[in-house]
Amino acid sequence: MLATEFMIDQPHTCLIDEPVGDVFLRMRAQGLRMLPVLDAGGCVKGVLSTYSVLGHIVPDYILSGDLSAIPYAPDIDMLRTHYTDVAGRLVGGVMDEEYLSVGPGESLLSVAAALVGFGRHEYALVVDKDGLLKGMISAGDILATLRKITCDAR
Amino acid sequence: MHGDSMVEPVVNHHVIFGLDPLWLAVSILLLVYAVVMMEKFNRAVLSLLGAGMMILGGVLTQQQAVAGVDFNTIGLLTGMMVIVAISQKTGMFQYVAIRAAKAVKGQPWGVLAMLATVTAVFSAFLDNVTTVLLIAPVTLLITDALGVRPYPYLFSQILASNIGGTATLIGDPPNIMIGSAAHLSFYDFLLHLTPIIPVIFLVTLLLIWMMFGRDLKASDEHRHLIMAFNENEAIKDHVLLKKCLLVLFLVIAGFTVAHQFHLEPASIAMTGAALLLLLQTWGKPLKDKDHAFEGIMAEVEWTTIFFFVGLFIVVTGVEHTGAIKWLADQTLAMTGGDFNATVAAVLWISAIASALIDNIPFVATMIPMIHDMGPSFGGEDMLMPLWWALALGACLGGNGSLIGASANLIVAGFAQRAGQPIPFLVFMKHAFGLMLISVAIAHVYIYLRYLI
Repeated sequence: MLATEFMIDQPHTCLIDEPVGDVFLRMRAQGLRMLPVLDAGGCVKGVLSTYSVLGHIVPDYILSGDLSAIPYAPDIDMLRTHYTDVAGRLVGGVMDEEYLSVGPGESLLSVAAALVGFGRHEYALVVDKDGLLKGMISAGDILATLRKITCDAR
Repeated sequence: MHGDSMVEPVVNHHVIFGLDPLWLAVSILLLVYAVVMMEKFNRAVLSLLGAGMMILGGVLTQQQAVAGVDFNTIGLLTGMMVIVAISQKTGMFQYVAIRAAKAVKGQPWGVLAMLATVTAVFSAFLDNVTTVLLIAPVTLLITDALGVRPYPYLFSQILASNIGGTATLIGDPPNIMIGSAAHLSFYDFLLHLTPIIPVIFLVTLLLIWMMFGRDLKASDEHRHLIMAFNENEAIKDHVLLKKCLLVLFLVIAGFTVAHQFHLEPASIAMTGAALLLLLQTWGKPLKDKDHAFEGIMAEVEWTTIFFFVGLFIVVTGVEHTGAIKWLADQTLAMTGGDFNATVAAVLWISAIASALIDNIPFVATMIPMIHDMGPSFGGEDMLMPLWWALALGACLGGNGSLIGASANLIVAGFAQRAGQPIPFLVFMKHAFGLMLISVAIAHVYIYLRYLI
């Protein structure tokens, strides 16, 4: 079975020069956790995930582990300030440039193995040789496909 | 290392392969220094290897090597490390830092000045590395809340830690070594070094203001965030805090009167450490006591302690061969035996050297050299200005570059991990001139107080 047969075609996307805050609102409204980021020509440039947005909001000095417990800091107000800053930035400055891409002709097993091996996101972007987005495959899509095949076999 | 344990140059006839002991000892010393500077291996391992080579090579016997270790320095360092390891668990450093920032109503320059002052004062009485390790993370939090770049704050804290550490016997390892070797008490340091430190600190702060101060601005919203910090939440253990403050008070009081009771600082620090270890887990089951004790022992910087042990033996080996006496004679010949010129040479050479290499091995080498100058200047009692020159030069010199002192590297490493790297050359461009000015102030002070 090839990637094109079980991918979601025409997935939701965002543009690299949109404000993060607007895109995040759209993601919340549509229940999405990750969006492919495209340039004006439709080429894939990266992905914007709730995880990558959060990664920009939590300060590096906390992530470094040198200051783990800070019950004395006004954390809500500080994080709000960071959120306002990140929400005002363009997607290109916040997105993950590293993402998992697979070719339209790759097999189900190959895509499943690539997803497990990548480990960062649970989505693979199906991208053709010109860098254009053809569709998207999640770990859930693969499991759903396997379930359907199993039921059909019975 | 000590004046009373000085050994006349000896020719050891059992040196390995019949090598010249002088060249063997000097080669070992230079090899240890060079590899330590490369920072490819643990420095304690290197100094202990050097010590082993001194003994196995036949430069020293084991008895001579052990006699060369200054256990007063080792005891003082270990005792203070234990006290600091327990104290840092209370959250008092964070409490003071937040109180300081709130005291100036979150005004950016005021926060910088207050945090630098806190760092300097803590560094005067506690280990510099621990001080910056605890203050720097809170500084990033505070600068984040203020919406200002952290570099000027971290920069000022590096300088403040080295300046503050110069003020007392226990502030910086070179002072501990000098105090022990020259039999200078905590009170002597208070009397002779402490008075000039506020002057140097204020001038440095003024220059930092000229470099960065005018660009530090924060909105009212950001300043309100600082005022929203709750410093009381920073205190993790109120009971332990009281015990720590009591022991710290007793230890510092003990240091100031130790000389009158013929007590060495190591005895005070080790007793204080033992008392705090006892109080820390008072009333708890034996299992918890053992667990807490082992935890604190694991936090003592054994690398530094064993680095000192090895270094003392290596330098003693070189001292036994007469190389340091020769170096002292050469220095005196260079200065024409003029006392003022010798003091100036010790001060400035110490400062420049300490900016570029680890000041601990440098001071370990300089101590016997200054001892050897005693006879030329009328005895040990006349050497006081030289000891103060060495202390001021070695401690203040640490501000010259990022590798000048361990605390500098700790802050740089922390800033790097936090995504706010401090470039080596940028730091040096800002700091080297300030270091030279601070040494110049120290020079004027020594000249006015001791040389005219």
